[in-house]
Amino acid sequence: MHGESLGWMGTLAVASAIVAAVILVGYLVRRPSFDGTTRLWLLLGLGVFPIMSAGAANVSGFQATQSREFCGSCHVMEPHAADSNDAKSTALASIHARNHFFGKDNCYTCHKDYGMYGFVLTKMGGMRHVYYYLTEYRSMPLEQAKRDIRIRHPLPNGNCMGCHTTTAPRWLSIGDHASSLAQVRDGSLSCASPGCHGFAHPVTKRGVELLLDGGPLTTTDAATALGLTDGGPGDAAPGAQDGAP
Amino acid sequence: MKLALPDNERVVRASCYLALVALPLMVWSIFDPRVWPVLVALSVGQAIGTASFALFIVAVVRDLGVRRKLKEQAARDSAP
Repeated sequence: MHGESLGWMGTLAVASAIVAAVILVGYLVRRPSFDGTTRLWLLLGLGVFPIMSAGAANVSGFQATQSREFCGSCHVMEPHAADSNDAKSTALASIHARNHFFGKDNCYTCHKDYGMYGFVLTKMGGMRHVYYYLTEYRSMPLEQAKRDIRIRHPLPNGNCMGCHTTTAPRWLSIGDHASSLAQVRDGSLSCASPGCHGFAHPVTKRGVELLLDGGPLTTTDAATALGLTDGGPGDAAPGAQDGAP
Repeated sequence: MKLALPDNERVVRASCYLALVALPLMVWSIFDPRVWPVLVALSVGQAIGTASFALFIVAVVRDLGVRRKLKEQAARDSAP
């Protein structure tokens, strides 16, 4: 469980599984006749408790798929997860990871589809990730993954606007927001773009991309971004300081 | 060729063994919520668990003689 409690769903799943297992082992050891009482016990051991356990485990499993720990468990996503875990990182994703309400689920919160069938579509997208991971990325070296793996479609601003509404007076009071309102709403200007809030994951960006993000880099920044020094490339994230959720 | 199921006791015992395999698979992901445990729990675990319950239902239906009773009912209904 990696230091976290099971939660009541997890506890229910485990408890139901244990009760079911006790009933089943009892039946296999004692081998009673298949009469009405035995059938009732088996209905509990093979039906009621396993279904309860499966249902609770499913809910718990689906909740687990929303966590950063889950997303970061494929090695190609480790840099993203590690950057989010870095309390000192100023990357947009990391800033969101420090949010008390959804911080541990920040990958899902920002990348999920916000439509009516968003949950299903997001899970389908996740299965596509698993497919690509199995067929293409499983043995890809991390450095190559950081260079080659990019988001399939640019993150729509609608995902940001799910929380940061563009109609709030506080949001509109910021000059850059007000002047680019139409572009933000029609998606022609990304919130996570150079000059605005910066890349969400600068840790996987390379020199050229970072040069676009907030102007020229110093030699040290460029070397860090290219992985030529011991420092983390996540430190080279200009333009990402003001993206507080 | 007609497939014959083993007797009910064997079917139920097989159902129990399948359930004892499925339960840990389904619960594993709760303790280790990474990609593979969760995928296995939601696919293999569920499939084995469903197969186990289906076998139990088969055993109960056979034991209760549901098919025979349905045939008798149909015969009575069709009698002049």
